This record gives sequence, C-alpha cells and structure tokens, in this order.
Amino acid sequence: MKGFFPIRRSEAWVLIALVSFSIVSFLPIWRTKIVAGMAMFGWLMAALMVLSPLLALYVFMRKP
Amino acid sequence: MIVERVLVVLYLAGCIGIGIVASRRVLTSKDEYWVAGRSIGTFVNAMAIMASLASGGSIIGVMGLAYSRGIPATLALFAGAVLGFPLASLLVAAPLRRFGRYTITDFLSYRYPSAWVRYLVPVFIVIAFTIYIVAQMKAAGITANALLGIPYDTALTLLTFVFILYVSIGGMIAITWTDVIQGVLMLAVVIGTGCVMMWRMGSPIELMAQATAVAPELGQVVHRPVSSYMGYFVIWATAIPVIPHIVMRVFTAKDAASARLSLNIAMLAYSVIILTACLAIVPVGKIDFPALADPDLVFLKVVESEFPALLRGVAVAAVLAAVMSTTDALLLAVSSAIAHDLLGTLLKNRASERVMTLIRVGSAWVVGALALYWAFSPPELISEFYTAGIGLLSASLFVPTIAGLWWKRANLVGGVSSLIIGALIYIPLELKLVDWGVSAILVALPASAFAMVLGGFLAPAESKVLLDEIGALHESDPVKKP
Repeated sequence: MKGFFPIRRSEAWVLIALVSFSIVSFLPIWRTKIVAGMAMFGWLMAALMVLSPLLALYVFMRKP
Repeated sequence: MIVERVLVVLYLAGCIGIGIVASRRVLTSKDEYWVAGRSIGTFVNAMAIMASLASGGSIIGVMGLAYSRGIPATLALFAGAVLGFPLASLLVAAPLRRFGRYTITDFLSYRYPSAWVRYLVPVFIVIAFTIYIVAQMKAAGITANALLGIPYDTALTLLTFVFILYVSIGGMIAITWTDVIQGVLMLAVVIGTGCVMMWRMGSPIELMAQATAVAPELGQVVHRPVSSYMGYFVIWATAIPVIPHIVMRVFTAKDAASARLSLNIAMLAYSVIILTACLAIVPVGKIDFPALADPDLVFLKVVESEFPALLRGVAVAAVLAAVMSTTDALLLAVSSAIAHDLLGTLLKNRASERVMTLIRVGSAWVVGALALYWAFSPPELISEFYTAGIGLLSASLFVPTIAGLWWKRANLVGGVSSLIIGALIYIPLELKLVDWGVSAILVALPASAFAMVLGGFLAPAESKVLLDEIGALHESDPVKKP
C-alpha cells in the first residue's frame, strides 16, 4: 500500500483476522449465550488464545 | 514447612550463583550487560520472554480472579497480552532487531530526534515500571508469608536482595539463565497440576460442566459489562509490542527471524499456562473449595490437598519464580532507562567505561532499594495501579513506534505530538480527574493516532536518508553461507 513500508500479504491478513476476531468476540450477544456451562464470550477468548500463536507460527513458517 | 523452605533457599542460592558466573562476562561490556551480546538462541529466548511476562499475576492472580469474577472475564484480561504477541512478532520484532541497539528509547529518539522523546520516554518507563516492581514485590512478600510462614518484611527484604544482586552483577545474561529455569519451573508446575486435575475429573469441558453445576457464576459474565474488560484487553494487546522488558529481549536474539520465532513460542507457552489455569485448575478449586475467603489462595489450596510436601515445595518455588522472573526483567529495564537512556546521553564521551559500569550496577541497587522501601507499606490497590502504569506506556509509545516503523509520513511533529497527547489524555482519565465513562486507553490511543496523522500531513516529511534507513530495517537478513 502506498505510503507504507511493505508487509507480506499473509501477515497482513493474519493481523486483520485476529483483530476482527477480537472485535466480534466483544459483541454483547456472546455474553448471555451459555455453552457447556460457560458464556460464549469465554470460549471465544479461549479460542483467541489458541488461534493467535498458531496463526503467527503459520505465517512465520510459510515461505516468503 | 522445612522441605518447602529448603527448596526455596536452594532455588535462591542457584539464582545468586548464576549471577556470579554471569558477572565474569558482563561487567566489562555494555553489549553483554544490556543485551547478552545479542547471542541468545530461539528456545532460550522464548522461555525467558514467557517467564518475564508471566508474573505472579499469571499463576496466583489469574486463578484468584477466575475464582472470584468468573472465567470469561479473566480470559478476556489475559487474552489481550496473547493478541499482543502476534502484533509484536509481525510488526515490531524483525525491524527492531535489525535496528540493533539496546532500548525502545534508542529507536524512538532515532526516528524522532527530539529532547522530548529522549527524556520523556525513559521517565514514563521509570514511573510505570517502578509501580510494576512494587506490585510484584508485594506479591512475593505475601506469597512467602502465606506459604513459608516467613514475616512479610523479612521475606520482602530477602527476595529483593537476591534479585537485585543477580541483576546488578549479572545483567541480561543472568536474567536470561534464571528466567529460563523459572519459566520451565512455572510451565511444569501449572501443566503438571492441570494434568493431575484432568486425570482425576475429566476433560476441561467436563470440568467446566461439573464446576458450573455447583457454581454457575464461574462461567458467567456477571460482575461488569463486557466493555469494561475491553480497556484491559487493549492495554495489554498494545503494550506487548512496545513494553521495554520485552523489547530488550528482542535485541538479545541472534537475528530477526530468531526474535520473531521466540516471540511466537513464548506466546504459545503463555497461552498454555493461562488456559490450563482457568480451564483445568480453577474449576476443581471451585468444586473442592467453594467458599474461600481469599480467592488468591485457590491454587495453593489445590496443591496442598493434592500433592506431598516435596511437590508443594516445588510449587512454592514456581510461584516465587513467577514473581522474580518478571521483577528481574523489569529492574533491568528501569536500570537501562536511567543508566543508558538518561545518564548515558548526558555523559556521552565524558565518562570512562569503568564509570559507566558502576552507574549500570548502581542504578539497579538504587531502583531496587526505593521499590523495597515503598513495598514495605504499599497502597492497597497497587495491582490495579500497575496495569494503569502499563497503560501509560501503551497510550504514549504504541502509535509512535508502529507508525515510526511502518508509515512513511510519520515525522518529528507527528511522533512527538502523538507521544505527548497520548500521555496527556490517558493520565487525567485514568486518575478520574476527568470522567468520560469509558476506559482511558480507549480514548488516549485514538487521540494519539489522530495526533500522529495530523502531524504527518501538516508538517514536512522526514528526509529521504532517514526513510531509506527505516526501509532497510524491513529488508530480510542476508542468507548466511554455510
């Protein structure tokens, strides 16, 4: 993108995906929906904690 | 308590021994003292990064919080730090490692050459990290008092003396070696305890179902609106890429790729600790001890009821390791802010290497002694303060660092104004001098970004030479010939 130093496309998509996932996780709808005893908000936060390292490792391992 | 005390004394003696061995290498070289000669391998650095981030709060605090406020809210607080790691790995680690200096102040004052940046940034670091150190010391004193029966003041003095000693004489090398031991100990104790709980009572999903049948509030978001947790989430997500004790570890890596990979592995280990604590240990604690007066004791109660004395001693050492592995890294970061960023600039070319070595060692003792004095009678809400202190670093440093690395129009006016406006808006909102009903960081960060954009477009761009040098930081390392 003009005006910015270049970033690999896969890295940019991972950043966009993780930030979007975080924003969606904070929507109030997940607060009251209970799954296996815990609010979906909690499961989404746990999923974010699993997804973040796995996606970061994936883009690191990808060949440029 | 004899077994526990002997194990803890052995552990502390080991830390001092590592400091003495490391001192032979570091006391004659600035590079060795601050960044371990830039020679730390990927897995060692990963364990050290994880250990320096995972404080006492990540073992005792996370479980106490989950027990009292519910697991979803607790995961939200700690997930922010986990999101911060890919931001650091993808946006900051490689270019900063190629930059190859010592501290975040070095980069910011190179990108925005101004006295405001050179002196304000280390002052912010000293303020935020001194509060953080006092909070950690208070946790160490309370833990040693509760687990070993040693009076709070005695425990505090003993532990502080040990970590100031090995930090001041052993520098980054001593911190790296002790942090690796502390990180492995933490991982082993938390994962080991979690596995025993799951073997006894079933998978995390089964555990959650059993625990929430007894205490439904454990799985609910009942204490605050979700939006109030967003502030903590954003503070930690934006702090990790710029927080000085993590950035210093990036500079210790062998090369840019190693810096990135070690951050990714550290993030994985940190996630495992938090998820195991919240989804495997806390549910059992809630079932077995449903009405604890002090929620912070839930982990210790579980360990006490499940394990023999020797393993309890290892668990006590792991909790103290969690506290000390963070505190030593914070102490080195504050020392570098004083001895390298502030005094190093003022005394440039005027002080001998021997004098600078004395300043490096002395600054660790001065900061440690001041923090110890404050920790003897800390304010009640010190733990709340330290996240607020980290928020000051996020509000003031995140935008200038990320824009400075990635936006070509980032310039001196934008950098200085985003640094100052981020701090000026964050402080009164955080101290409730002005109350807008939202978390301070959610106002300060956009304001800092707005100031950066305004400065970038209204003031002249930086020289082509500087932009070419920044561009070079984004070019891959040359492939080493076999």
